[in-house]
Amino acid sequence: MKALVTAARVALISLVLVIFLFPVYWTVTMAFKPADEWTPTSGKIYWLPDQPTLDNFRRIFGGTPGGSASFLVSTPINATDSIVNSLITATFGSLLALVVGTFTAYGISRYRAGGNMLGFSVLQLRMFPPIAVIIPVLFLWTYLHLFDTRLGLILIYGAVTFPFVVWLMKSFFDEVPREISEAAIVDGCTQFGAFWKSVLPLVKGGLATTALFVFILNWSDFLIALVLAGNKIVTAPVFLSQINSAATGQEFGSRAALGVILITPPLLLSILIQKHLVRGLTFGAIKR
Amino acid sequence: MGIATDTTTPADGVPAVTVLPEGHHHRHISRMLILPGVVLLLLLVLFPVVMEVYISLTTWTPTSGSQWYLAYRDWTWFSNYWDGLTSPSFLHALLRTVVITIAATGIEFLLGFGLALLFLEKFLGRQVLTVLFLVPMMIVPAVSGFVFYLLLQTNGPVNYILTALLPGTVELQWLTNPSLAPISVTLVDIWQWTPLMFLILLAGLMAVPEDQIQAADILGASWYQKLRHVVMPIVKPIILIALIIRGMEAFKIFDAAWLLTQGGPGEVSSTISVKLYREAFQNSQWSYVAALAIVVMIIVSVAASQAIKPLEQRQGGAS
Repeated sequence: MKALVTAARVALISLVLVIFLFPVYWTVTMAFKPADEWTPTSGKIYWLPDQPTLDNFRRIFGGTPGGSASFLVSTPINATDSIVNSLITATFGSLLALVVGTFTAYGISRYRAGGNMLGFSVLQLRMFPPIAVIIPVLFLWTYLHLFDTRLGLILIYGAVTFPFVVWLMKSFFDEVPREISEAAIVDGCTQFGAFWKSVLPLVKGGLATTALFVFILNWSDFLIALVLAGNKIVTAPVFLSQINSAATGQEFGSRAALGVILITPPLLLSILIQKHLVRGLTFGAIKR
Repeated sequence: MGIATDTTTPADGVPAVTVLPEGHHHRHISRMLILPGVVLLLLLVLFPVVMEVYISLTTWTPTSGSQWYLAYRDWTWFSNYWDGLTSPSFLHALLRTVVITIAATGIEFLLGFGLALLFLEKFLGRQVLTVLFLVPMMIVPAVSGFVFYLLLQTNGPVNYILTALLPGTVELQWLTNPSLAPISVTLVDIWQWTPLMFLILLAGLMAVPEDQIQAADILGASWYQKLRHVVMPIVKPIILIALIIRGMEAFKIFDAAWLLTQGGPGEVSSTISVKLYREAFQNSQWSYVAALAIVVMIIVSVAASQAIKPLEQRQGGAS
């Protein structure tokens, strides 16, 4: 009886899981389908690529798919720059948020800096729809010649993910006993020395988790890169949404190929920070 | 501050290893620590918001040819606000976003809670299955928008599967039918974020001590009574946090909605973010958008100040 219940339970879970993973499956298989299998032209849906091909990947890296007549002639495209842009802006934006946010978090956690107000207003920032805040930033960026530059995106990514770093790192610092830094000070360290030499090493794991988490957030951004860049500097998600060709219209296969490349880093990184994922997404409110 | 700590010697009647005195050095270092953060906030948030208020009181647009700081030449006081608050299209977008937020958050909660209950007992492969459920929320939203666009085509796989399961041919126009388009936008959110709800609730349910459940079993409590009187009191604060955070994020929904329907057909699936984006970049109504953005920020701030309370208590209590 017990075994039966468990079997039913696993069966039900598996069914739900299949539904939830189906879109991912569809993206991955689409990336390997030749153009005539992208959409069901003759009413036949291709659940698996009939003639699997790497043409979609070749296409997004500037190649002209050889041999396959299914690709109609269209201007070559190259996603390399956009992927590089995404990597650079997400990495440095995350670093900026991490450095500034960690200091702020320590100030709030250890010294109650800014009273209750600072932590509160930092979190409140997260609630505004980005589009509501970003339009004046667009004016400011145009004025400062930061519009459509990597530096501009880095600064804004740093600011946008700063609240996450503050709340996450605060939750990690809160777990470090005050005695640790006090002992270091008694041993002759400065306040900053105590932070740097004895507290920070204790939250190394938390710092790494926060870094990866914030990187995933910045890597996933679409709206900010769409508004504050998009002519010279295009990030990969924006590039993905713009792959079209005059001949075939929207190129589903090429988009899916870039999609597969885009979703890989977050999926891999999330395995590393799996233990703290909930903590990250709930601003440190739930520690698991 | 170095040796200054030593003022808290036993001679003062204060135990040596307690809270440091809130001296002037102390305030100095705490200011130094938060200074970069405050600068970042001022530069990238406060200044733009002040600028936004300024522009919202004018009829300035970038296409009018003058710099933004000369916008006072086109001063109109509150007419943008008046236009916004009396515009059915804006009010509908606001209402629609609230409905989508409530529907998405509610369904995510029910699904997530159901799933978490299924995972509560140990079984072979639980760990692996839990990790697999993480996948949707790690998908870059631009990609989820794209793939749902494919799946929900009238001749796409979703209708195909529904046709196989249901009698008759299913040819639902998920993206172009005015009553289905908002549902499709909601669906993407549900797909992407039910896993988060599930993870949070599972963590909460796991925190319920087993001996309490066993005690209730011995006392002959029914399944419902256990849920109501043993599990709920422990899990309730976590449920509250999950709902608040998810509601907060769902209200901002843009990426998937934009890539799926661009707010269409017409405006029937445009959320507040999509609406603002369209007004700004398709209609170039910059000062009008600034006014709408201020209105949205005020609404969100009021809601946020209420919603954050349980979060803060939790943070404070846990530390």
